[in-house]
Amino acid sequence: MLSFLYARQSGLDDPVRLRRAESTRRVLSLELNHNRDVDRIHGNGINTLDIEVIDGRYMLSGGSDGVIVIYDLENNSKKPQYTCKAICTVGRSSRHVHKFSVETVQWYPHDTGMFVSSSFDKTMKVWDTETLKPAEEFQFDGNVYCHHMSPVARKHSLVAALLYSVLAVGTKDPKVQLCDLKSGSRIHILQGHRGEILSVRWSPRYDHILATASTDSRVHIWDVRRASGSLFTLDQHNGDKSKTSSEAVNTAHNGRVNGLCFTADGLHLLTTGTDDRMRLWNSATGENTLVNYGKVVNESRKGLKFTVSRGCSPEFVFVPCGSSVAVYGLHSGELITMLRGHYNNVDCCEFHPDYQELYSGGKDCNILAWVPVLRQPDIEDEETNSKRGGTHAAINPAFEDAWSSDED
Amino acid sequence: MASMHIVLEDTHAVWCSADIRSSLQYLVTLFSRKLFNDSLPPVVLKHQLYSLHNDKTSVDKQVVRSDCNKCSTWDSVQSHFIIITLMHSEALVFSFPRQNELRETGELLMFQLGFDSEAFALVFAEDYRAKVLQGEAGRGTLGTVEKFLTKLIPSCSDLSFNKEKMLKEFLFTDSEITQLVKSGVLTVRDAGSWWLSIPNSGKFIKYFIKGRKAVLGMVKKSKYGEILQTELEGRRTTSQVKFQMKYHIHDIIGAELVECIQTTSGTLLRYVDGNVN
Repeated sequence: MLSFLYARQSGLDDPVRLRRAESTRRVLSLELNHNRDVDRIHGNGINTLDIEVIDGRYMLSGGSDGVIVIYDLENNSKKPQYTCKAICTVGRSSRHVHKFSVETVQWYPHDTGMFVSSSFDKTMKVWDTETLKPAEEFQFDGNVYCHHMSPVARKHSLVAALLYSVLAVGTKDPKVQLCDLKSGSRIHILQGHRGEILSVRWSPRYDHILATASTDSRVHIWDVRRASGSLFTLDQHNGDKSKTSSEAVNTAHNGRVNGLCFTADGLHLLTTGTDDRMRLWNSATGENTLVNYGKVVNESRKGLKFTVSRGCSPEFVFVPCGSSVAVYGLHSGELITMLRGHYNNVDCCEFHPDYQELYSGGKDCNILAWVPVLRQPDIEDEETNSKRGGTHAAINPAFEDAWSSDED
Repeated sequence: MASMHIVLEDTHAVWCSADIRSSLQYLVTLFSRKLFNDSLPPVVLKHQLYSLHNDKTSVDKQVVRSDCNKCSTWDSVQSHFIIITLMHSEALVFSFPRQNELRETGELLMFQLGFDSEAFALVFAEDYRAKVLQGEAGRGTLGTVEKFLTKLIPSCSDLSFNKEKMLKEFLFTDSEITQLVKSGVLTVRDAGSWWLSIPNSGKFIKYFIKGRKAVLGMVKKSKYGEILQTELEGRRTTSQVKFQMKYHIHDIIGAELVECIQTTSGTLLRYVDGNVN
């Protein structure tokens, strides 16, 4: 660490290098910290978390009881012991609360005055944070599994891609609906999936590229400016039709695809499926990079929300696996560690890029904060402490010998 | 004398591949030939390699034909030159063929076994060829099979073939294809397409699945559902388990049907819930 600081100071190293090295070290030492807590408001499982992009201060959570809570993550008290307080909630007593489980919440990418939530009560609501009343409401025919707003969109009128699922009974096909926030209307529909769509993500690199994942084992990449169908689908065998049985040709996974995540630079896309596999794709060409993560246990019937670290080298993927969160190296595929702490299934996790902290929420109604371990104080500091007569930091007062007499 | 300092390129690329080959040869020794009256070539499963090597991605790269993994650094063109600087400014330059793609060089053949879409079998090409011809000796289909093998082994690394490929590329007739299916080298996959297969492998798959189930049962029935690997290797096998215990242990570790935990007394294998098998 000192060498990094010296190199940066003398100009030998790029400033980014120190930041990246320290971020990586911090992510590798994530663990539960008894000083950090998050208020427990939800009475039922937590389905989704989102930390706002601008300050990284406020976090939204949506639960299976339809309740939405906003937390303040910043520690303004001068003590290390801190509970992230819930600032406001859209509780069951509110007139506008969702009737059924909230599946996805997302802050408006450009400021915290607005957020969007979608739920199994077939609506998507655009909320005003000040008054906690919906400014806009979109009604749909089927359950809404996921929605996403593009984080980089400036030109297009802030289209929020919404997916709803229509159960494939009869002639209706599952569609991806794009809704315009500026005008409050639905713009267009992307057709092409044959099963319920469980996850959608805009690319963080281009504001017109969208990826969708569905139960028909396919992942489509769309360009919303085009009138025709998807750009391409992701094929796990990279076109090598000989590797698989004929039904599984051109699929991304051998089961339902229920999780999607772009890396921070938008160059790669991660998908998880119920075949217990996670795959890393090149998002420009759609080819499978064939990084082997091993068995990534995945039994989720709904979408799985996982996340990738930002600002580290190498990058890490945090995937909820059963009741723990697995941390994998992004390009190497090795399992770094399993973060255990939840009592029940983990449904969602979110990475805070400024502090390298991970927040995860699950069916046990807890949001746990995984914080990097602080460096231990140096031995020099301990000696100076004892010179001043203070208690030695290493000996726990409970083990101090306070009863034997000196005469023995 | 001008001194040349040339940075040593990733030598681990060389050792990795030599390692994979030696691991394969080790696993081949665990295969019980006598069980099948010497009619089968030694079969190793790809995921058994995962139990011997930590990095699954690099194992895949060296076994599977993957010319698309551009995001890893040691795969670059330079890595097939190994330059060693010696004391007196001499440099030896070694050039190796691309070490990954044991399959592309025609040394290794991969087969889809059919009971699991992720389980692939690996057989050394010379062994395969020898056993198949040995099995075909004296039969009328020998000529067709030999022709197929000469076409297949040096260059092709597909797992399945469709009709068009057989007729156009390999120039086989319909009756010849029927002969190949009869001899066991091809098995039906779909209307008009065939998997590459190992003749007489039905018995292998049957014993393998039974043995795997029995070994997993042994782990599951142990106290707390976990057992030390050394203890498991020492246990007496039931009549269900026809292969060597170590062969099955590599299989269940590599397929992640048990969790490997390092303890002070050695590796502990813990049964993972939620297995279908």
